[in-house]
Amino acid sequence: MRRPGLTAALLWPALIIMAPLLLGPLLALGHESLKPFVGGRIGGNDAEALTFDNYAAIAAPEYVRYFLDTFRVGLISSAFALVLGFPMAHFIVRRAAPATRRLLIGGLVGTLFLSLIVRVYAIAMTFGPHGPLSGFSRLFGIASSSPDGAELMVVLGLMNTTLPLVALTLLGTLQNINPRLEEAAMSLGAPRWKTFFQVTVAMSLPGILSAGIIAYAFCISNLVVPMLVGRGFILFVSNLIYFRFSEVANFPSGAALSIVMMVVSVALFYGLLHLVRSQWQEAGK
Amino acid sequence: MNGLSLTKRLADAVFETAYLSLITLFIAFSVIPVIVAVVLSFDARGFIGPFPPTQFSLRWYESFMADSYYHDGLVTGLIVATVATLVSTVAGTFAAIGLSRADFRGRGALQAALLSPLVVPNVVLGFGMLIFASRLGIIDGMTRLIMGHILITFPYVMRTTAASLVGIKASYYEAALSLGAKPWKALAQVTLPLARTGILAGAVFGFVTSFDDVGVSLFLTDAFTFTLPVAILAQMRANLDLTIAALSVIFIVATVLLIVLLDRLAGLDAVVGRGVYGR
Repeated sequence: MRRPGLTAALLWPALIIMAPLLLGPLLALGHESLKPFVGGRIGGNDAEALTFDNYAAIAAPEYVRYFLDTFRVGLISSAFALVLGFPMAHFIVRRAAPATRRLLIGGLVGTLFLSLIVRVYAIAMTFGPHGPLSGFSRLFGIASSSPDGAELMVVLGLMNTTLPLVALTLLGTLQNINPRLEEAAMSLGAPRWKTFFQVTVAMSLPGILSAGIIAYAFCISNLVVPMLVGRGFILFVSNLIYFRFSEVANFPSGAALSIVMMVVSVALFYGLLHLVRSQWQEAGK
Repeated sequence: MNGLSLTKRLADAVFETAYLSLITLFIAFSVIPVIVAVVLSFDARGFIGPFPPTQFSLRWYESFMADSYYHDGLVTGLIVATVATLVSTVAGTFAAIGLSRADFRGRGALQAALLSPLVVPNVVLGFGMLIFASRLGIIDGMTRLIMGHILITFPYVMRTTAASLVGIKASYYEAALSLGAKPWKALAQVTLPLARTGILAGAVFGFVTSFDDVGVSLFLTDAFTFTLPVAILAQMRANLDLTIAALSVIFIVATVLLIVLLDRLAGLDAVVGRGVYGR
């Protein structure tokens, strides 16, 4: 009963609209990234031969630093989000009464929907110099005015996005794990913590890792959080690309950075997801 | 035996405390900043001083109302988000249904390509779109913004619709065909109504993503056409006053209304999904 004609007709609108929007920018970036840069003009120089100089420049330590900061701070923030997000998802799925469950899910979706700028602004006002929680960084022995203080603010800002994302993703994971398994472990005398770690967490591990990877992808592509609370100490690759455009108008360098960042993000995301999936399929899951 | 069970009860109590502390920390971290922003929006002082404020006023709301800059951004943002979401919802829904029925080689690759804007940083998409548009000679801000925003809203709609199609048995559609319905009619009257929660959720996600986007929009705005987040960002870097706190409260109220609406129309549980063992 399959009709190839109908299937094709359903796919055509997306192809006609999305193919130019996906490929056009990609090709434009690729071409721009190979142009030599001449100071004082917008865009690369068309008269000269194409070059890989813009890519070679990215290997310099002062550029590599931005990449390392991006990946490190993203990792810290995603890890914290998992530690806080998993118990929350577990609570919603296993313990919360229907009304509480609805309220919490509404809160999570709401946090995700609330404008990122608004959330980062609220974080800056709360943990900033005049905020009610301005002493928070001292709990970790960090002066809020130091570079580490800026990093802490970026981590907090990113967590505001990653927390609801991780919790909502893990809801799906936990809802597909049979609660009888936890009950069985406990009725056989296992303590709560052991049941939690050796049954619940162990069985959710593929979901936890997937949620972590999604959170990580969101973190490393962020622009707004480092821009607003990084105070120049912590800048991500996204900020660097934006500076190439807004401050120095070095389009070829920005395009080369964009291509590198795109390749790294896509490779990391699909590579890690593939790793997680193949690992658990091998184990006979 | 008694000693063992005491150790176990102690361990259980420690675990329970840690578990509930993490949940409390999660909620506190999500709620406190929102409360701070709401309180500050009523601050009567003309500067950002120690918290909490001692006198309250509506001056920041008045200052927001008087600022046509935000108003322009809001209008542009709503137009861009509406147009981009409409295009993405139609094309994305069709594509999700098409891909769910397709069995040609390269189906997985096509799906990954159509979803790829989710993984590529928005700054890269925006910068690429800027160069692409300028090569095409498109310098109109509105056109560029809509192009960029279709790119970022499409994957949300397609992904959410595709997820909701998984739960719909193909046999319903086949049954309609065997009862004599034309394929288009079976699609419109059987598959689409069954997938409507997913489509609605995808459209709402797409709209919110577009309306809140900064990474793509920063590159594609022009001097007269800019979205609300871009306007806020410009103001925040110029002078960090509390007008933005007032604006935040308006955003918070709008978000709450949106959530209530989504719950009424589709049910939050349906949007999030109940899973196999969900209660």
